[in-house]
Amino acid sequence: MNASAWQMLLEGAWTTVWISAVSIAIGVVAGLVIALIRLARIPIVDQLLVLYISVARATPLVTLALFIFLSAPDLGLDLNRSVAGILALTLNTTAFNAEIWRSAFRNFSREQSEAAMATGMTPWVTFRRIMLPQMVITSLPGLVNEMSFLIKGSPAIAVIGIVDLTRVTNRISAVTYEPLPPILVAGALYMAIIGCLVWLQRLAERRANRLAT
Amino acid sequence: MSEANTSETAAVAIRNLSKSFDDVEVLRDVELEVKTGEVVTIIGSSGSGKSTLLRCINWLEQPDRGSIHIAGQRIGVNDAGRPMPVRELAKVRAKTGMVFQGFNLWPHLNVLHNVTEAPIHVQGKSKHEAEELATALLEKVGMSHKHDSYPNTLSGGQKQRVAIARALAMQPTVMLFDEPTSALDPELVGEVLAVIKDLSAEGYTMVMVTHEMAFARAVSDQVVFLEKGLIIERADPETFFTAPRTDRVRRFLENHDTPSPA
Amino acid sequence: MSNWEILWDERAQFWSGFLSTLEIFGLSIVGAFLIGCGLLYLLEGSRKRLTMPLRIFIDVMRMLPFLILAYLLYYGLPSVGIRLDAWWSGVGALAVYHGAYFAEIFRGNRLTFPPGQIEAAKAHGFTKSKMFFRLILPQVIMQTRPLLGNQLIYALKDTAFLVIITVSELTAAANSLSSTYFIPTEAFIVVIGFYWAISVTMEIIIKQCGRFSAKRGFDNV
Repeated sequence: MNASAWQMLLEGAWTTVWISAVSIAIGVVAGLVIALIRLARIPIVDQLLVLYISVARATPLVTLALFIFLSAPDLGLDLNRSVAGILALTLNTTAFNAEIWRSAFRNFSREQSEAAMATGMTPWVTFRRIMLPQMVITSLPGLVNEMSFLIKGSPAIAVIGIVDLTRVTNRISAVTYEPLPPILVAGALYMAIIGCLVWLQRLAERRANRLAT
Repeated sequence: MSEANTSETAAVAIRNLSKSFDDVEVLRDVELEVKTGEVVTIIGSSGSGKSTLLRCINWLEQPDRGSIHIAGQRIGVNDAGRPMPVRELAKVRAKTGMVFQGFNLWPHLNVLHNVTEAPIHVQGKSKHEAEELATALLEKVGMSHKHDSYPNTLSGGQKQRVAIARALAMQPTVMLFDEPTSALDPELVGEVLAVIKDLSAEGYTMVMVTHEMAFARAVSDQVVFLEKGLIIERADPETFFTAPRTDRVRRFLENHDTPSPA
Repeated sequence: MSNWEILWDERAQFWSGFLSTLEIFGLSIVGAFLIGCGLLYLLEGSRKRLTMPLRIFIDVMRMLPFLILAYLLYYGLPSVGIRLDAWWSGVGALAVYHGAYFAEIFRGNRLTFPPGQIEAAKAHGFTKSKMFFRLILPQVIMQTRPLLGNQLIYALKDTAFLVIITVSELTAAANSLSSTYFIPTEAFIVVIGFYWAISVTMEIIIKQCGRFSAKRGFDNV
């Protein structure tokens, strides 16, 4: 594999990383917002959210990416490929994150909230200072796990023409007629990226254990 | 108007308090007054409603009928008779300090920050002020050497002492103790009782629910016996423990084999 | 003609895509299940020399995207002389990939067995095979039911990746119809509906299995 092949691989890796990072960032926050809205139990909104979460978790990323990219013009939106890809990844990961955050809410110790209220903290201050910091820590392993899933699912965006780390191997082998080396290197690069996330998850688990009194 | 006048001298004034859970009446028309500087202990068998009564004082449980005044201010319900808005409720709660059976420390904060958290974020004290106050209180409960430790490294007795400091940090009108030693291993009970005893000697107003009979006898100014939601006896400790008027209380004390205080 | 009517006329294509997906899914999860059990058997009480490479294999599969494995089988294998068509590359990749995930789920559960069980079996003269098939495997499968259920749903979703290596299945049907008739929204809504229906059906089946295993006392362990 020559230098230009390596360069293309690194560009593909960069595409994968930046699109995944944006989707992860939006998805974690959006998942929290949805979990909070679901806490309020607003009648129709809650049912719609449950439906969204159920369908989004059952829909393959490839299908979702194609759907968004091809349907966008119909709905009057002019999406470029990257935005469509980010939207697909985000819609998917948000649904999973919403469940992770919701589980953290339900498992939060009522006694600690009581102690906070007893000192005169309002529900908002209690949430901000006592619940949220701990929920972030206990949700972290699950959230990082979902980030790994997102990266492993990110090749789906290749189907709408984005040249990510997987699709770039097609480009390279079209020139070199040697498909195996770029695929192996791409595999190694994915493992490196996900390896970082796995390491992050272990760190997160260690911090989460400190909260288990 | 007259209600406010008679409650002025009382740290806590409870009138006609009733509460039911589903169909079970847990509190029935309870009347209790706690004067400033007084230590009142509530005793009773399980299911008598004593924890519920205590938790009504800071509105963690909402009574169905009746009123509770903290230092003359009604809690939970405003003057118009409507439920208090959350912010006002929080303000009145800040006048009480509660120590829970399960300690309920906040595990993501170290000992010092557990104590400074409420003064900073509820009372708006500066970090410096709050830390000075917290350090002094931790010294008082004997936990200043652990100020940067996290709750999960502490023993039960240590956690409870930190919890007491945390409640004191708000400089409350009344301290509420909900079975503070019931979850502790026997050898750790003494260190917590010692702290509570010091507080009573210093003149803190306290309402305590406890099973520690000898301790109650030594520390209380008034002992109240709750049975199925009704106060069936109230007396000073000597009378209560040596010459109770009701049979029920006599039987209870026999079963608990109260030794005389040291 | 409304868009939905066009789609209804072409329902054969949807149906054939749906069946294709089910076929790929069914075959690959049977394969994955066998591979998972096989890996568990090989890991049972074996030497480090065998368990080490197996565990590395499992960990590698868990750190790779599925599509890379599919690419490896479809585009990469011809370089070493093995030419699989797209369909078999897909089924093979799914079986190997999810087989590794099944193995990891099984392994995690196996670690929670009290050692006394195995000792008692050995004392009664059970051979490794008998012990594995009569004692270990049934319990592991019953206890990992919810995790297996989740993994099945992941496997179902991964079948859609095969459209990228030119396999004709449900997503490909939607893609083809949408490009032929320019009705992407409706075509994909139908297909998403299909995936959702399969998912929900599987979840119900898993719950029913749960009742079966609870009756048989497996949840008492």
